[in-house]
Amino acid sequence: MSRNLSYHGVDKIFGKGGKNPVHALRDISFTIEPGELFCLLGPSGCGKTTLLRATAGLETISSGRILYGDTDMTSIPPFKRNIGMVFQSFALYPHMNIFENVAYGLRVRKLPSAEIRKRVAEVMELVGLTEELKRNPSPTGLSGGQQQRVAIARALVYEPSLLLLDEPLANLDAKLRRYMRAEIRRIQKATSITAIFVTHDQEEAMAIGDRLAVLRMGVVEQIGTSDHLYTRPNNAFVANFIGKMNFFNARLTGADRARLEGVAVEVTVPPEKNRIPGAAKIGAGAKVLVGARPEHLEVGARPLPGSLPGTVRIIQHLGQVVRYEALLDGEVCDAAVEVDMPSMPPDVREGSRVHVAFKPGLPFLFLPREAD
Amino acid sequence: MRGRPGGANPGKGFAVSAKTFFRRDFTPYLVFALPLTFLVLFLIYPMAVTVLRAFMPAGNKLVFDSFSLQGFARFFDSPMYLKALWNSFVVSFAVTVFSVLMGVPMGYFVARVRMPAKNLMLSLGILPIIMPSFVGAFTWVILLGRNGVLRHFLNRLLSPLGLQVPPIYGMFGMILCMTLTYYPFVFQLAYGAFASANALLEEAGMLMGATRWRIFRTVTLPLILPSLGASGLLVFVRAIGNFGIPAVIGGDKYVLPTLIYFRVNGFWDLNGAASIAIVNVLITALVLWLQKRMISRREYETISATHGEIQLHQGRLVRGVAILYCAAVLAASLLPQLTIIVMSFATSWVGLFPEGFTLANFLRIPSYSGKEMFNTFFLSALATALAAVLGSIIAYITERKKPRGAALLDLSVMAPFILPGTVVSVALLSAFSGSSFLKLTGTYTIIVISYMVRRTPYVYRSVAANLSQLGPALEEASTIAGANWFYTFRRVSVPLILPSIISGSILTLTTLLQELSTTILLYSSKTRTVPIQIYGAVADGKLGEASALSVVLLVVVFSIIYGMNKSRGKSIVSSFKLG
Repeated sequence: MSRNLSYHGVDKIFGKGGKNPVHALRDISFTIEPGELFCLLGPSGCGKTTLLRATAGLETISSGRILYGDTDMTSIPPFKRNIGMVFQSFALYPHMNIFENVAYGLRVRKLPSAEIRKRVAEVMELVGLTEELKRNPSPTGLSGGQQQRVAIARALVYEPSLLLLDEPLANLDAKLRRYMRAEIRRIQKATSITAIFVTHDQEEAMAIGDRLAVLRMGVVEQIGTSDHLYTRPNNAFVANFIGKMNFFNARLTGADRARLEGVAVEVTVPPEKNRIPGAAKIGAGAKVLVGARPEHLEVGARPLPGSLPGTVRIIQHLGQVVRYEALLDGEVCDAAVEVDMPSMPPDVREGSRVHVAFKPGLPFLFLPREAD
Repeated sequence: MRGRPGGANPGKGFAVSAKTFFRRDFTPYLVFALPLTFLVLFLIYPMAVTVLRAFMPAGNKLVFDSFSLQGFARFFDSPMYLKALWNSFVVSFAVTVFSVLMGVPMGYFVARVRMPAKNLMLSLGILPIIMPSFVGAFTWVILLGRNGVLRHFLNRLLSPLGLQVPPIYGMFGMILCMTLTYYPFVFQLAYGAFASANALLEEAGMLMGATRWRIFRTVTLPLILPSLGASGLLVFVRAIGNFGIPAVIGGDKYVLPTLIYFRVNGFWDLNGAASIAIVNVLITALVLWLQKRMISRREYETISATHGEIQLHQGRLVRGVAILYCAAVLAASLLPQLTIIVMSFATSWVGLFPEGFTLANFLRIPSYSGKEMFNTFFLSALATALAAVLGSIIAYITERKKPRGAALLDLSVMAPFILPGTVVSVALLSAFSGSSFLKLTGTYTIIVISYMVRRTPYVYRSVAANLSQLGPALEEASTIAGANWFYTFRRVSVPLILPSIISGSILTLTTLLQELSTTILLYSSKTRTVPIQIYGAVADGKLGEASALSVVLLVVVFSIIYGMNKSRGKSIVSSFKLG
């Protein structure tokens, strides 16, 4: 249990040598600590599921190594890796009752039947299905949340060294999803098993993961805790994938300063919020992006110093905040900006002329996005 | 490729060492080698020999130094060949058109009109295709032959109009018989399409102001066209390959399968038969290709996830017409089955009506046809069991291992599906008779092999569809849990696909019990089967004996199918469908 899992230069090319090779993973290298609940997050097609399946051995990798402690897993066939996995579809066996489903991995390992009964009962208690085990129905007779628990129990019962969860909540409804993600975290902490959780839902990833890796097009963009990724995103992609980020076209004027495109407004950011890597070596006049989260902006009917004029398109009351979507004049912004206000300022309606201002000390600076 | 067993990882830092080599799981390769060998030896090799023989001079010798187009030239210079080709075309085309005309309205009525006993109509509607088709043929002789009871009354009806029922022997008989045998394909598939169409799409049309007829024309019909195309193709392929019906009532009108039989049986001219077989297959392939081309542009995915309940027609007039129509079609297509049951208990039926009740026809079976009974059940059961294993394993390979060339494998397993039975026989005779390295003529083995080659697609299709629906996660979950390939196959894959193996096998068994077109060229006195016996009895005019044997087959086949439908409640017609 005390060994870490590390990836070293893992590459995966589908259809290698064929007409349309797809580079699914590029030079993936990072380490997952023992007992950690680690999230792989990214839009669909980013390679997160491929990386998980490669960890399980269900997918071969084109080059690189996957180490568990000092053991190279790459050449070990999947059925000898001692891994537990929860599938998106749960993959419960319809031809077996739930006891047999959970006992499957123990039967494979040829444990005595008394031991199997004891371990199945223990793990079912852990996932909260003791009552269901007494009735022992077929998994098709269970609700979605219960099927999910059976799938987790089946993956944990033989005490695997690693637990893999492939979008396990995608098939559940919204309310159950929120409940089950807390349950998964509870179960993972109770067993202190090292776990990898794949999802495309940033809210889910931020809620459940000790640490997150954001993937895009087969590349790890950033790794860190939820708080770290939210407050210190490395680039514009991560910034807009973890929460919402508005981007303003600008040109660099000083170390932590930039002038917005087409308007005489200059924005200064604190040094830790300048996310342009030192290696980028760009000077004054270079194109950059000023980033601001909706809560970093404010709207009002009257101009403020350094505010940008525009028109309100849509107002949505979201409960804790009111979200304004405004189209700014000129070409400073490629899309409508979203602004969150704690309450509704007077005289601002849909269609009104408004002014959007930066709250001081909060915006970020990023390199412009490469074409994605 | 995902999940290929032991796929190597040529990359940085590690090569395929001897250690990792032996750690791989080699069981799958051993299990997979056998079916592949079978396919190569008994399907691909014989077909290749057939193609070679098609370009050799008449006779049965494999002579590689002489190349000849003689076999094909006959299609241009022999009136008999030309006629047979033309007849095949006309019959198959007419049968397809009439089947669609008969089946589509019936499918629509049963799916969309409120009427009683729909399930009964659907199960009665399957009967014609699960009965031996040549049995239908000779009963039509009783009904519409020179002294036929039906002819007598129909002629009375028609004579004021100056019309007469055409003679049953020849084109009219073949087309009538095949249409009544094959329309169920269209009926059942059309029913399925009409019943499962998304009602919301039609309701949307109605809300936008379209009339019912307009909706039918612009929404309903275009959406079921792929199904119609598939069923039409199915009918065409069956009709052009049918041997029994033309053999019984074709009279002097030859079609390609009877012409092949004539070349082999009359002249032992395997090379000439091979040429005809190639032409026969080419026509089928051409039609298949045309259908694919027309349909591929018309395949639609259902976009919406929710399906509404389809509203049934309630009008009294519509209901009356629908019920009458369905009853009339069912009556016409089930007439042969009724006739044959009556016939089997009659001492003779030469005039208008059957005469004298007797059980003699049945009591004679053990002494006259005991061996044939044994052969039929033995050969069919053995071939079914082997085809089930073969089909399941090949389906597993193509669906799960997805090797390079999976498409080719799929194509070669499925090829016999469109090969007429006589063509398969010619191919096996071409490869395994005379001075062949493996001489099989006259043996039980060659019949079992021909049955397997022809019917493996049934199991294969059934299992492959099941596997693709199941998705690989169930098996991956087992692998992850620590089970090796064989354990997973035994405990997870096989139990999950067992229902589809069983339904594929039942279809195989019931069609093999009545198999005529392949057996007719392969049997010897030792390996005669019941259908051969029936065919012989009909030729000798012993209709009582033929009827009694047919009734036995009918009862057995019906019981098996009924038993299966009872336990599974699944339409067997979809299992006949082409990809």
